[in-house]
Amino acid sequence: MDGLERKVVLKVENVSKNFGSVVALNDVSLEVYEDEVVGLVGDNGAGKSTLIKILSGVFPPDKGNLYLEGKKVHFKSPSDAQNKGLETVYQDLALCGNLDAVANLFIGREICRKFLGLEILQKAEMDKQAAQVLSRIGTDFPSVHEQVEYMSGGQRQTVALGRFVAWGQKLILLDEPTAALGVRETGHVLELVAKTRKEKGVSMILISHNLQHVFQIADRIIVMRHGEVVGERVRVSTTPDEIVSLITGAILVNRETNEEGVIDK
Amino acid sequence: MKDQGSKKIIRWVINNIVWIILIVIIVMFSITIPGFVSVGNYINIVYHSVFIGILAIAISYCLISGNLDLSVESMAGFGAIVSAYLCGSSVFASGYAINPYLGLLIVLGIGAFLGMVNAFFVLKLNINSFLVTLSTYIIVRGIAVLLTGGQGVSRLPDSFRLIDTIRLLDIPLMVYLMFVFYFVFQFVLRNTRFGRHIYIIGGNPMAAYNFGVNVKGTILRVFILSGMLAGFTGWLIAARTNGATPTSANGFLFETLAAVIIGGVSMTGGVGSLTGVIGGVILMSALHSAINILAISPFVTEVVRGSLVLIAIVLDSLKRLLR
Repeated sequence: MDGLERKVVLKVENVSKNFGSVVALNDVSLEVYEDEVVGLVGDNGAGKSTLIKILSGVFPPDKGNLYLEGKKVHFKSPSDAQNKGLETVYQDLALCGNLDAVANLFIGREICRKFLGLEILQKAEMDKQAAQVLSRIGTDFPSVHEQVEYMSGGQRQTVALGRFVAWGQKLILLDEPTAALGVRETGHVLELVAKTRKEKGVSMILISHNLQHVFQIADRIIVMRHGEVVGERVRVSTTPDEIVSLITGAILVNRETNEEGVIDK
Repeated sequence: MKDQGSKKIIRWVINNIVWIILIVIIVMFSITIPGFVSVGNYINIVYHSVFIGILAIAISYCLISGNLDLSVESMAGFGAIVSAYLCGSSVFASGYAINPYLGLLIVLGIGAFLGMVNAFFVLKLNINSFLVTLSTYIIVRGIAVLLTGGQGVSRLPDSFRLIDTIRLLDIPLMVYLMFVFYFVFQFVLRNTRFGRHIYIIGGNPMAAYNFGVNVKGTILRVFILSGMLAGFTGWLIAARTNGATPTSANGFLFETLAAVIIGGVSMTGGVGSLTGVIGGVILMSALHSAINILAISPFVTEVVRGSLVLIAIVLDSLKRLLR
């Protein structure tokens, strides 16, 4: 790229994963560079979610290695992955409706102080940080102490995204972040992704079914099919049509030379 | 905007409904039932709520974490008979007559162990906690009967009974103890990482796991705590009744569940607070007292209590409709 050597944030090397006899991922390799948004696309069952789950520490790969900034890593659990700088935004938002915005923002990373063997929540400190984060995202927010289940869809989205704005350090995995949203909220999310990237220079992987969104914010697009990476395109030099043909398999890939040829059996 | 405001008021009312009902009922009883109005009777109401009160803490913790522990009743019964068996000196006692506080330690240990057993089936074998604790509820009750061959044990040393016999301002020590428990456990629930995690797990266990909350460890601790609180309740029962029978604590489970649900703890997990639960506990005890004074058939109690639970459940689902 531009002849410059860019730092690799994440390297996935020959990763495979089976569920019983089902091959979910077969020898997947890819790289994500510094300050880059990678779109990960593919049909249902292509292996995107399995890959995201491996990257976010939900389960380990059967074979293959992960490298974070050049160092080999094994994620023992989601919290392990988070501690190493990977933040995931899940498609179902993964919020606790019974708690307020602050508590949701700090799930699994509550600020505490030890006192008499008890870990006492530092509520004032968390309130302060939460208010900062939410104001940075900048929507009308009624109260950080409102329970999430009483919030509108857009406000909930703000809370869910607040997590990655606040905590994403090295790499943010966005798993269908707009799947459950209306047009206006979707626009807001894409805006926020672009803004966060500009402000923090953090790399992202965006999984989406919506190619329009992917083309809007991704620099590079990786296509998966049947558990394999079947193509990789720089956004500016590809078209949605080409990506669709890769997704559906209308373009077959010669894996040895990594050159594509149109099907002619 | 106005609509939002009125919704908030309705929400507040439903969240605090137990205290409103409690105040209305106490006032009503005080006016209509002769002999209800007296400091002695009010103290009595609270005094008789201690066992249910402490078991209610256990069940609340479990329910808020999205689990259910039905076995608290028989764990309390077992705790009562074991402490009487170890410390008592009547015919069917062990004959060792050990120190009451050593007995308490043993009972707490048994409670913790039984809690671990519950947690094992729930967490390792992934069985619904309702089914697991329903089984242990029956099994532990059976063991309690086996221990003394179905006989009761009495004649505890005076030192055992101090928690009941010492009175401050005419109020037995165990009443103060219950309020201390409520204060401490409410604080833990609202102000510590452990308590926060209980709410998170009850609200959305998937999110809890994904964001790095130690789900299994937290639920294990909840079940252990529940067993220990139940064992402690058993020890208190032995202290108050100067002994125990294998049927001690019989019927406490549904009384406790009723109190907890009326107190605003949701069966679906993640919702509730001990400030409401204590209201539910005292409410149940007040009903008891009224029915005793009026000498109504005890079966009416069941109807009233059941209806209250039903009302509480309806209100709980209403709350969710009010988004």
